[in-house]
Amino acid sequence: MNVKDLKVVNKSVVKIDSMSLALGKPSYVADFKPADTLYVKMLWSPHAHARIVSIDISAAEKMPGVKAVLYHGNVPRVAHCTAGQGYPEPSPYDTFMFDTKVRYVGDRVAAVAAETLEQAEAALKAIKVEYEVLKPVLSIDEAFAEGAPIIHDEPDATIPIPVPYEPLKNLVAHISMEVGSLDKGLAEADFQFDRTYETQYAQHTPIEAYVAQAYLDPRGRIVIVTSTQVPFHCRRIVAQCLQIPVQQIRVIKPRIGGGFGSKQEVLLEDVVAMLTLRTKRPVFWEFTREENFRTGRTRHPIRIRLRMGVKKDGRITAFGMEATSNTGAYGGHGLTVIGCCGSKVLPLYRADNIAFLGKVAYTNMPVSGAYRGFGATQAFFAAESLMDEMAEAIGMDPVEFRKLNHIRSGEGSPVFEALGEGKKGVPMTIGSCALADCIAIGAKEIDWSRRTPWRSKTGRYRRGLGMCCLMQGSSVPEVDMGAASIKMNEDGSFNLLIGATDLGTGSDTVLGQIAAEAIGTTIDKMIVYSSDTDFTPFDVGAYASSTTYLSGEAARKAGAKVKLQILNTAAEMLHLPVSELDTAEGWAFSQDGQHKLSFSEISLYSLYQKNQYQIMDTASHITHKSPPPFSAHYVEIEVDTWTGAVQVLNYVAAVDCGTAINPKLAEGQTEGGVLNGISYALTEEYLFNAKGKMINANLTDYHIFSMRDKPPIKAILVPSYEETGPYGAKSVSEICINGAMPAIANAIHNATGARLYTTPFTPEKVWRAIQAL
Amino acid sequence: MKLNEFIIPEDLKSAQSALEKLGEKGFAVAGGTSLHFLGIVEKTAVDISHLGLSGIQKQGGAYLIGATTSLGDLMKFKDQGWVLDQVALHTSTQQIRNISTLGGNIVRVFPWNDFPVALLALDATLYIEGVAEKAYSSDDYFNGQPIRLFQPGQLLTRVEVPVLKPGQGFGYHKEVRLHAGFSLMTAAAVITVKSGRIDGIRVAASAGIALPARLTLVEAALGGQAADAASLQQAVANGTAALAWKGKEGMSDEYAAHLGRVVLMDVLSAALLQAQGE
Ligand SMILES: Cc1cc2nc3c(=O)[nH]c(=O)nc-3n(C[C@H](O)[C@H](O)[C@H](O)COP(=O)(O)OP(=O)(O)OC[C@H]3O[C@@H](n4cnc5c(N)ncnc54)[C@H](O)[C@@H]3O)c2cc1C
Repeated sequence: MNVKDLKVVNKSVVKIDSMSLALGKPSYVADFKPADTLYVKMLWSPHAHARIVSIDISAAEKMPGVKAVLYHGNVPRVAHCTAGQGYPEPSPYDTFMFDTKVRYVGDRVAAVAAETLEQAEAALKAIKVEYEVLKPVLSIDEAFAEGAPIIHDEPDATIPIPVPYEPLKNLVAHISMEVGSLDKGLAEADFQFDRTYETQYAQHTPIEAYVAQAYLDPRGRIVIVTSTQVPFHCRRIVAQCLQIPVQQIRVIKPRIGGGFGSKQEVLLEDVVAMLTLRTKRPVFWEFTREENFRTGRTRHPIRIRLRMGVKKDGRITAFGMEATSNTGAYGGHGLTVIGCCGSKVLPLYRADNIAFLGKVAYTNMPVSGAYRGFGATQAFFAAESLMDEMAEAIGMDPVEFRKLNHIRSGEGSPVFEALGEGKKGVPMTIGSCALADCIAIGAKEIDWSRRTPWRSKTGRYRRGLGMCCLMQGSSVPEVDMGAASIKMNEDGSFNLLIGATDLGTGSDTVLGQIAAEAIGTTIDKMIVYSSDTDFTPFDVGAYASSTTYLSGEAARKAGAKVKLQILNTAAEMLHLPVSELDTAEGWAFSQDGQHKLSFSEISLYSLYQKNQYQIMDTASHITHKSPPPFSAHYVEIEVDTWTGAVQVLNYVAAVDCGTAINPKLAEGQTEGGVLNGISYALTEEYLFNAKGKMINANLTDYHIFSMRDKPPIKAILVPSYEETGPYGAKSVSEICINGAMPAIANAIHNATGARLYTTPFTPEKVWRAIQAL
Repeated sequence: MKLNEFIIPEDLKSAQSALEKLGEKGFAVAGGTSLHFLGIVEKTAVDISHLGLSGIQKQGGAYLIGATTSLGDLMKFKDQGWVLDQVALHTSTQQIRNISTLGGNIVRVFPWNDFPVALLALDATLYIEGVAEKAYSSDDYFNGQPIRLFQPGQLLTRVEVPVLKPGQGFGYHKEVRLHAGFSLMTAAAVITVKSGRIDGIRVAASAGIALPARLTLVEAALGGQAADAASLQQAVANGTAALAWKGKEGMSDEYAAHLGRVVLMDVLSAALLQAQGE
């Protein structure tokens, strides 16, 4: 297929919801709050680890305005997992709506629903709780130490799939693989490396905090309106928690003010649903920013030990990764994130001897979850830092070293098959790969030829260039499923119903473009609706870089089916064979140019005139591979060697996402991801007191980059064509966040000679590393 | 802070009497941005932003600045011996500068506030008006949290800042991690150079130390010394040894002390350069 022939795809059409959002039209969950809603406030655990000896809610229940109080004594005890993933989840069922034990500062104790927020807050103060404070586990080392306190000692914590899970050892997951022999590979190397890297907690900080509401419809079904990335998983998990049929629940996802993975989790919906059932009133619950930090999900802090070997000629002989993550108090995404440390990173470079060991620890710290990049962010920091060290050791330019070793089109990696999500992976040969172009284009854009060795640099302010290469995936193969339905209206417009979840990314626009292209119409004729579990077909939701590649293919297939129905009707109307007809821009026409019918004429005919039927169809799609997007990132920085402060001067991200369905949106994704990555690399971190309580749970003390801090970022889309994706598309949303940390670490080294192994690169860490030279 | 009521008085006198009557329950609101940082206290707000207390005038050797002059106006004002524009430029965001006032910045001092440090270095005079007006030197005024000096009904009305003269230089720096970030370390200095020697020096710091303060040991070590980098270096090394620097945002006290010295060197060097006419 020639991408140039496409009419709607690969065009930067305006994001379809942009005008209504810019005009502040009601769009988000909080905009639809019913007038008679009750407000929820939660009593959170002040302790990192404690048993609830007694709890007295009687005074709170009598407080003015209070309509219901929930705690462990009056709700069903159902072990479940809050992470929204396919069923059965590759995650432990270790969470209860309320429990007799609290496992981190910010764990649930009791919920109040009252007429006003103030009344709910006041009632929290009237709940009397007696805790038996237990020794907390505050780090990976403490979790695995001999005699460590057991965080999940409840007998009903289980895992629904057959994978290692040993809660009595605080072990959430354990996976390993070896191809060839790591020891042999290391022995063959001219240079061997054994390095350990540590990454920090971070929060997604979407503008819209977690928010959900619930009400009963006239037939008594529960309607949940929520800011979620996973409406269908949400419906299933809430049904499980409340022990009611899925049929009783409808989940509506309106516009979302950002998610980045944080909303791939069911953290509020069970409570609002239960309170609505109890009170028969609408119920609304919105996290404060502080709650978002403490109770919301975070990025897994991961310790990564790399053992690698390289020959003098630049061939990598051994690539061993040992990754241990801290999932906090609950294990939702523990297994899948640690798996992605290996599966998304190890295949990037060829090596005959590869080993991976992943372990996940429970601690009494904030709960880690899905976060854009999903383990690859942390592991690429380690791997791409070491790639530079290896290049330096053999005296090769880091770009040349990567060019020599990176995976190419037509090649596979044993890692694809070895590491799946809670099961074996899927063997895969790389189809599209424009990484070589990304490397070359990025190097030219940043002018890599200016790079000089760090030893030649003097003075207080020193500049450095750094780079890295990246890959990710597009969907979880043989697991993820998406579907789309399309219905034609009298005026030739179409309803596109999708379960896929636009969380601000623009995926409704992208899927609308794909469907319009497949049908042969224009984007303004597409009425895109996502998502409502009563009306839109199933989709796993927005995660794993799947929406464009997976749900996009479902939209393309549905569009192709609808096109066929349109052609059949047109053929009947024109008395011509279907084979002589085609569609474009809202018209069906004969290829000789003699006859044409507008879509409106065709629709009116099919609905009102003869052989009436509704032109509409549905298609589902499941992916059989997860084609990686590839990227090369380059950065120029300046280090104040006296203070250790690092300033990013210029950033280039060249990315191969296959065909960019909407180039402007793909660039936007890339710029946003890069800025998020820079922020993670330099300023974002959770600070804790000695008892495991976060002490900077607000945006005053937790520092995220804003547009004011944004350095020049150039996103360059490097085309390739992925045969298995819709119109050649892969994914773009996650890969872009992975580069800043390693590229900046490499640039700091190039500027000063200092190599950083722990993140973020605070001025003090950089200064100390320089002092240590 | 939870405001129960909002009073908009007609003039300074009625504002003062309203605040006096309210006593502890009253709260003068200028820009109101400090409410972002204060906990929940039930108070009645008295708006003092429209009482004719804003504006900048040059009179003789000083600038008279009304207490409710916005930081944005301080930034826009330009004159030969005027330096507060440099300070305002680095204060938070334009949105905050548009509403925050000089008075609000220096009556209740937060560790990151920029103007107390600058006014200490500049040797400003501050005027509090109750029944009568009382002038405070910046040393007396900032010798503790300034709010201690205010009785109910008393307001800061104006601030007098000397015009910088030839032979004098001003240096100001705050170390932040993000553009609108809170200061890790702030310092300001005014140096007067005469015949190649340091004839006058005022230097102050904040953020890295508990409250904004003059660094008198650094000043003592510099007074009368040759106006060169070596003198600055020695004075900073000797004059800061006894200071209790406090690390913030996860940084250690040791690093804070190091950062303090770097920032001091930066402001002293900038002030010296300007004083020497460079
Ligand atoms: C997000 C954010 C970031 C900020 N960052 C910085 C920064 O980096 N650097 C910086 O310098 N500032 C910064 N500020 C501003 C600073 O912290 C104060 O909030 C601000 O200077 C207060 O000024 P205001 O006019 O809003 O005072 P208000 O909030 O109105 O008042 C502050 C206090 O002073 C009293 N008061 C005000 N005026 C008078 C008067 N004339 N007489 C007697 N009492 C009076 C009030 O009663 C109150 O107690 C920031 C503010 C915010 C919200």
